[in-house]
Amino acid sequence: MEPLTSMGILALMGAAATIAGASEDLESDVGSQSNPNSQVQLAPQMMYPHRIYNKAVSGEPPSNALMCAIGGTTASVLMSTGASVMLALTIGSIIAAVIHGTYSVTSYIGRTASQKRFKQPLYLDLIRTHTPVIMGYAFITTFCILVVSYLMITAMAHPFPLPLLAFIWGIAVGAIGSSTGDVHYGAEREFQNVEFGSGLNAANSGNIVRKAESGLRNGIDNSWFCSKFGGPVTGIAFGMVVFLTGWITVVFDPSISETMGWEAIIAGAVIVLLLAIWNRKIEVDARKAYGPYKKDEEEVAA
Amino acid sequence: MSAGGGSGGAHSAIPQNNIIAFGVIGGLAGIYGAHFLVDMISPYMSFLGALGAICGIVWGASAVRRVANYGLGTGVPSIGMLALGIGIIATTFGLAVGGIAGPVVALIFAALIGLVVGVLANKVLNMGIPIMVQSMIEIAAAGAIAIVGLSTSMIGTFMFFDEVVNGVVVAQGVATGVMTTGYIAVIFIAGGLAILHPYNANLGPDEKQDRTLACAFEKGAIAMIIAGIVATITPLASGAITILIGVAIWYISFSKYYKLVKRDAYMISGAGLLPSKEELE
Repeated sequence: MEPLTSMGILALMGAAATIAGASEDLESDVGSQSNPNSQVQLAPQMMYPHRIYNKAVSGEPPSNALMCAIGGTTASVLMSTGASVMLALTIGSIIAAVIHGTYSVTSYIGRTASQKRFKQPLYLDLIRTHTPVIMGYAFITTFCILVVSYLMITAMAHPFPLPLLAFIWGIAVGAIGSSTGDVHYGAEREFQNVEFGSGLNAANSGNIVRKAESGLRNGIDNSWFCSKFGGPVTGIAFGMVVFLTGWITVVFDPSISETMGWEAIIAGAVIVLLLAIWNRKIEVDARKAYGPYKKDEEEVAA
Repeated sequence: MSAGGGSGGAHSAIPQNNIIAFGVIGGLAGIYGAHFLVDMISPYMSFLGALGAICGIVWGASAVRRVANYGLGTGVPSIGMLALGIGIIATTFGLAVGGIAGPVVALIFAALIGLVVGVLANKVLNMGIPIMVQSMIEIAAAGAIAIVGLSTSMIGTFMFFDEVVNGVVVAQGVATGVMTTGYIAVIFIAGGLAILHPYNANLGPDEKQDRTLACAFEKGAIAMIIAGIVATITPLASGAITILIGVAIWYISFSKYYKLVKRDAYMISGAGLLPSKEELE
């Protein structure tokens, strides 16, 4: 293929992946899925009942793999009957979002009912307001992942079938959402009331922030907060993964010669190395600027 | 930690042995029923395979519940994925070598892998969960039944290789109909989540067996609907009946689940404030 055309397709894939990453993170934040979930689950036991949607559909990777595999399967079934691609991908994503909605509702009501002895009430208005939001984000994520997978198969001649590729990208977006976005919700949002950088003291376990700017805090407040930084940064991370992994084989096309294939691998290794060094620099700079437990050390010295 | 279930074994109104019988007999009956009745009556009978898969899923969910009650916590999703991972290996092997006995071979082979994994977990990793070995055998075998059942329901047969007459493919096998087309991915993840989600969704000290199993039926029905969607384009299986029965089972089991949630919850409130300090004491 023309290098320019493949660069264009790659850019489109990267854009779709960026949206998918952002919506994936916000979707998990509305339902406080994944890592932050442990504190939401623990809070009622420590006498802190809350109005936060407790959606635990396993970790993010399997639950996103489920959405994307269902979307990919339905779309591939529809396309084999001759439906247009756009319609097939849309209907596939709708079915995936609806099924994800049932998973979310069963986990919220089930987990709340299992906390009877901690007197955690089950709020029906939370189901009515949060589930459509979760389904909306799930639709966007699934649709964008399907676009990425479909472009890979048709434009880049990837040998895998659509359901399998969507499944793999679903795991990938879930893993990146879990590792990149959760930090922002878990450490910063749930424990806004403790000093920045102080870590989670055992005494603070379960003592999550339960009150909002006005009224009681809920999952939509959390996704509003995360949409300022956590969501977009997850999107950039996932978009970079999709773009850079594709970029090395577009620039150094292994189908031209074997040497090019090795050059692609070397380029990939160089990118990983550069990012690792850059990340290390950010970490060291952040530690210098904010410093872990500076006050404590001074007290010990005194 | 009690947030991840109490330690020392789950309380069960229905004994696990009955559920094992339900899973093995129901599962195999559904799979063989679908395989033979599709040939004898019509492709509409392919829905039986998915019913067999639901039996396996309920069994698997019950086994996950028993072993995860020892405080597995975040390990619940992992154990479900493990079940289906073993199930895929066992299914590929069992169906490829077993011929008409394929599902039984897959079941036995899955149980053997489960035995090895269970012994490794307890003896080498020192997890020290008393029912670990039995539960791993059960979960792996249930995963195999879910995979074979859903595959059979998708293509109307559990034969691994294509049936070829005079050089023409007359019936697709599992290898080309389910695995090459990539539908195995959705079987893996929908079956896996159906096995792990019920206990994960009801995690907490006041978890009840009937509520968890109602959720397992509901998630099994979703897997059935997806199998039905795929069956609409395969010649030897019919999707319409599978989808209809799947939706009916989903509706019944979801209503039952919600009823049990209403029975068990501390308070169901349309909207409202948090319980007061006095209430919490």
